[in-house]
Amino acid sequence: MMLLRLVLVLTFLAVPLLSYGQKAKTIDELAKMYDASRCKTCHAEIYAQWEKSHHARPLMGVKGGLMLTPLALKKGEKGSTAFSEDSPGKMTIKNYPCFKCHLPQAVTSAEDSVAVELTEALLAKDAAKVGKLQITCIVCHHDKAIIHKRELGAPEKGVLYGKRDIPVHMDSTFKTVKKSAIFKDSVFCGQCHGLGPNLEFDQAFQCANLYGSYLHNYVSGGGTQSCQDCHMKNGDHLLAPNWNDDKASSELLAKAITLDVQTLGYEWLQKAGTLIPKVVVNTKITTSAGHRIPDG
Amino acid sequence: MITKFKDKDGKAIEKKEERHYHPQATNCRDTKMKYGAQWKVANIRDTSLQPLQAKKESMEFVLPDGVRSADVTVNLFYELTTPAQKYPIHSITKTVSLDK
Repeated sequence: MMLLRLVLVLTFLAVPLLSYGQKAKTIDELAKMYDASRCKTCHAEIYAQWEKSHHARPLMGVKGGLMLTPLALKKGEKGSTAFSEDSPGKMTIKNYPCFKCHLPQAVTSAEDSVAVELTEALLAKDAAKVGKLQITCIVCHHDKAIIHKRELGAPEKGVLYGKRDIPVHMDSTFKTVKKSAIFKDSVFCGQCHGLGPNLEFDQAFQCANLYGSYLHNYVSGGGTQSCQDCHMKNGDHLLAPNWNDDKASSELLAKAITLDVQTLGYEWLQKAGTLIPKVVVNTKITTSAGHRIPDG
Repeated sequence: MITKFKDKDGKAIEKKEERHYHPQATNCRDTKMKYGAQWKVANIRDTSLQPLQAKKESMEFVLPDGVRSADVTVNLFYELTTPAQKYPIHSITKTVSLDK
């Protein structure tokens, strides 16, 4: 009997909340599947940076907003969208195309019941519940780490991906870190910080154009910096700007954008005897950003 | 960007000039600009600041009779989601005189 009890306990410890490949039925289950809070044990500074980033609140918008609310509204209601339904119970993962980037794990790992629960939470303005859904370490360092799947295969179970190989990674689930081919490249960020209209959906929509702008207006002009060069200096996982921080956002913008103002005061002679006092203001704005401003 | 004028007594003497720099999209079903990814489908105009390119403007203001000097202030700021949500970037004030 003692042996049986021991075996049962060990089995329980070895099986995570959900088996690999099984989909989450609730927000809590999905949050648990992608929970990376244990990462802060060893990566405290990076984790603290990430906690302040928009990746930590991808469904929240800025300053406590709930940016997906228009989709949750009842179809036909003022402010609702083409993705809205008659009732929360009809909502599915497909009704939230924003998940493509704002919560990619929902597309691969959540049942439609998560969309129903999210809709109810949005309508109830339950920010605490919505806030559980995050783009965690696991999303970038696992799910999004490989874009050459035909050549390299899908991300491996139990493996994280980063800038270099770490054969022994001290984690109970992800015991190895492998070098990702794209972690230093802008294309990695471009998976979500987009090309323009999302035409693959049955109702096209447009979110971020950032990567498209980078490719077509920065690289094409001879630009050589990557997204990571500017937005992840020294491995900073804040990925500024953090729009909730007014001061830091203004400082970042002021660093990237210059404004030159030249003025001229004179009297313009349109015709004899009619001098018109005039001020001319010439402005010149330049930017060191590798993408259009604004974009996302 | 907003450019404002004041005379030497600090009184506003000209209507301000504004320039807006951002991509502008519709849903491609009508000609109304849309705000919010869930409604937008494609950009139809783009006045954004572009990488590796300078954005130049030239604005002219006629001074009222008797006014020979003015303070010109150019405010550059970032608006996020609503005009009320502003992030100041630069503010430059210059005094312009018509007298030598």
